[in-house]
Amino acid sequence: MSLRTARALTALYFTLSLLTTTWPGMVPFARVEPMILGLPFSMAWVGMWLAGSVIVLWLLDRVERRHRDPDGGEG
Amino acid sequence: MERWVFITIIIAIYLAVTLTIGLLAGRKQTDSVAGYVAADRSFGLLVMYFVTGASVFSAFAFLGGPGWAYSQGAASFYILTYGALGMAPFYWVGPRIAKLGRRHGFVTQAQLITGRFPSKGLSALIAVLSLIAFVPYVTIQMRGAGIVIEAVTDGHVPLWLGALVAYGIVIAYVLSAGAMAVGWTNTFQGIFMIVIAWSLGLYLPYRLYGGIGPMFEGIREARPELLVPPGLTAAGEPWSWGAYSTFILVSAVGLMMWPHLFMKAFTAKNDDTLRRTVILFPTFQLFLIPVLLIGFSGVLFAGTPPSADFILPFMILETDLPPLVVGLFCAGALSASMSTGDALLHASASVVVEDGVMQFTKLDERRQRSLMQALVLLTGATAYWFALDPNSSLVLLLASAYGIISQFAPPVIAALYWRRATTSGAVAGLVAGIAVAVFFWQNPALKPFDMHEGVIGLLVHIPVLVGVSLATPAQDGRHVAAYVD
Repeated sequence: MSLRTARALTALYFTLSLLTTTWPGMVPFARVEPMILGLPFSMAWVGMWLAGSVIVLWLLDRVERRHRDPDGGEG
Repeated sequence: MERWVFITIIIAIYLAVTLTIGLLAGRKQTDSVAGYVAADRSFGLLVMYFVTGASVFSAFAFLGGPGWAYSQGAASFYILTYGALGMAPFYWVGPRIAKLGRRHGFVTQAQLITGRFPSKGLSALIAVLSLIAFVPYVTIQMRGAGIVIEAVTDGHVPLWLGALVAYGIVIAYVLSAGAMAVGWTNTFQGIFMIVIAWSLGLYLPYRLYGGIGPMFEGIREARPELLVPPGLTAAGEPWSWGAYSTFILVSAVGLMMWPHLFMKAFTAKNDDTLRRTVILFPTFQLFLIPVLLIGFSGVLFAGTPPSADFILPFMILETDLPPLVVGLFCAGALSASMSTGDALLHASASVVVEDGVMQFTKLDERRQRSLMQALVLLTGATAYWFALDPNSSLVLLLASAYGIISQFAPPVIAALYWRRATTSGAVAGLVAGIAVAVFFWQNPALKPFDMHEGVIGLLVHIPVLVGVSLATPAQDGRHVAAYVD
């Protein structure tokens, strides 16, 4: 994957995360049912975005590393 | 042995270990200002991860988080949301800040801003605003430590003594070893906090309700309004979406602008360490889930704590946990309090000396260090004085502290990314943003859509920064090139 695509996808993930965890994007998800892993839906929803961000940032780092100088500077 | 004596011994052992780690850490550090403020830019991944995580999670998260979940329900979910959002941009911004720090010898946030926008007044303004935001923040940490100790020792160790001993230790290691001590003690305290939070957050729902699912099913039957965002206000009224959403926004923008966190970019050994800290940060955030579960476990529990913030110590004491667990919990809460308090004290002294005093007089390195140490003591004493006053409205002040701190974001971003930004623009924007935020903090009834005053401040700040910059002559191209690639 190119550096550009990886950065765009990361930005997209965090934009979506912001839009669907604040008004008005969160309104459809502000509910108790269905419960997930025993948590009310809205809590599982924000928790899911949080857990997802670990994966997204890790994937981004893999791509960034491949495009960087071996000495760790800006590529 | 009496229960409270046993608990006090556990706390004493914990405090002794913290002090030892703090004092030993400083032995590897040089006597320079870069050593005291930025630990000679030597932190590896392990320390950076915990120093960032533990500085963010304070007594406010450990006591306030469960308190919010308990009394305001889903309103507390905002705490889960903003951390990753606020931290992610630092994957790119962090290494740029670090690079400029190495190139120009910066150790504070204001040095970076006024490096690009030279102005002694701007530097002093940032120092003063940081200090105003810091003191209530330190006070809350001290009060948190004192109250936890008082609660678990059945009042045998009163608030004033508990806070004095805990913060006497913090001040001792911050004075002697600066950033290095903050780093290594936070690593120890961070591990402690995570383990305690997860064990209690999973244990309490099982012990009281037979599981997390049954606990929430019970709350759904009895108090369904607690489970639907935006939740409730402290007074028990429905909270507004405007406030819920802008709390997330202002916290995400403000998070890394706290000088004690921002300055961490100058302590990292290299850029990779910084980037990995950002990537791993959300894993630290996950620890807020059990913290909120602890609060929810109190909803259907018989009995009421003296105030919502004390739901955690209340649950611990009322559920007849073994004294060992109570002692460890107390150490966890102290970890949360002290690991933030030390970073705050250390940063406030560094900022006042570097950005305030040094702008107007020249001091050699040794005098700078001594002055910083005197200021650590002075800030600590001021915060302690406030901590003993039960009527001080510090919670209110802290809520607005984010309104102040978030106003540092536009000048930082402009300094790093916008060639056309000028000093006049940066100063005008900051002054306008702060003025608006303070006005709406004083007049909450006038807030449009119940928005957080910091967000309203930013809505004025950014156009003023842009407008005034464009209306004033551009900066010299060579000067700008040193900051904007």
